[in-house]
Amino acid sequence: MSVFMDLNLSFTAERSRLKTLIETAAHLGFSTVAINYVFEPATKKKQEIPTPTPIKELIDELPVVQGRYRPIRVLNRLTVVMSDSSHFRPNAAEYRCFDLLSVQPTTEKLFHAACMIYDVDIICISVTEKLPFFFKRAPVNGAIDRGVVFEVSYSAAIRDSTRRRYTIANAISLMESCKGKNVILSSAAEKPLELRGPYDITNLGLLFGLSDRDAKEAVSSTCRSVVLHAETRKSASGIVYTMKTCSESSSQQEAPPADSGEAPAAKRAKLHLTD
Amino acid sequence: MRRADTKNEPAVYRRVVLKNASPYHYMKVCLVLEDESTRLSAVDLKQFIVTGLKSLYGEVGAALTFDLLKYDEDSLTALLRVYSRGLVKLWSSLTLLGSYQNQTCAFRVLQVSPFLLALTGNSRELQLD
Repeated sequence: MSVFMDLNLSFTAERSRLKTLIETAAHLGFSTVAINYVFEPATKKKQEIPTPTPIKELIDELPVVQGRYRPIRVLNRLTVVMSDSSHFRPNAAEYRCFDLLSVQPTTEKLFHAACMIYDVDIICISVTEKLPFFFKRAPVNGAIDRGVVFEVSYSAAIRDSTRRRYTIANAISLMESCKGKNVILSSAAEKPLELRGPYDITNLGLLFGLSDRDAKEAVSSTCRSVVLHAETRKSASGIVYTMKTCSESSSQQEAPPADSGEAPAAKRAKLHLTD
Repeated sequence: MRRADTKNEPAVYRRVVLKNASPYHYMKVCLVLEDESTRLSAVDLKQFIVTGLKSLYGEVGAALTFDLLKYDEDSLTALLRVYSRGLVKLWSSLTLLGSYQNQTCAFRVLQVSPFLLALTGNSRELQLD
């Protein structure tokens, strides 16, 4: 069985709070967490896409995961809240700084595009409002074929009871379409007390209409496949990976191709498998 | 398993699977509060859990019988006993409990087992020297 992951911890500028959040996650038994930066483009003015703070600057010493005696792994993740198709720029260089890329579509058209076309890892399901559209089987199946996963976050359900209703209702409606496949459960926690242990979340998954097995996979192996999917995004079809080496230390290698950009240019995988 | 007798018959194996043989499940939970100086009595704790059950499952859920077997007021650690049928309900309501008297709180489920004896020790805190 693969290790537990929580791929959504809300980023806060307060370093001490983020530190306790990561420590709590490690104590609860999560081996990998992702710090989530939310980017919500407004229609009028142009906004900056946030840049991730390097993990080393955030936290000096990574806490040890309970029961595994190795330090926790921390990733960076960007969530783009989309209300218009121009909000997601497929080739933006800013997206490359993040390990994981997710979108939260707010209309049915965008949901369809996110499932079928966009090169993302995670599609967030809104849990704070009544579902504005119905999950159709075709785009959901397309997303499952492409390895994109759907995310349901549970901390809104802990905060108040109205959102709890929406969370459960939206989650169940999603499970009807995807039959429990390619779903991850994550916290979206801002405070350490909003985090729950992996087995608690597994149990909560049963409430969302997942089976025993799918609920456990939603915090472990599906999360792992997301992280691997994110790695293939940075490489050419998931096979070739380019990285800059220090020019002196690797003199025995052949001359690297002319590359002036700071990030290695990766060949993009063919996306239109389902068309 | 039936023991193979001393006769010359070939040994007959019978696989016995007990599914949910235990009527009860036992949970060891710890309540973590934002303000660590808050004290709860055992009655308060049980009332709090019942409130959580009621807010998630309504009156029918609040009718779920569970027992608070042991409670340590200093560490806010409790041992709960619940019918195996009601485990998912109780556990999920504990998970979704987020505030106690307007302060955030969290139930940390430390151990769950169908056997009370299993809760005497925790293999995750075992130090192998």
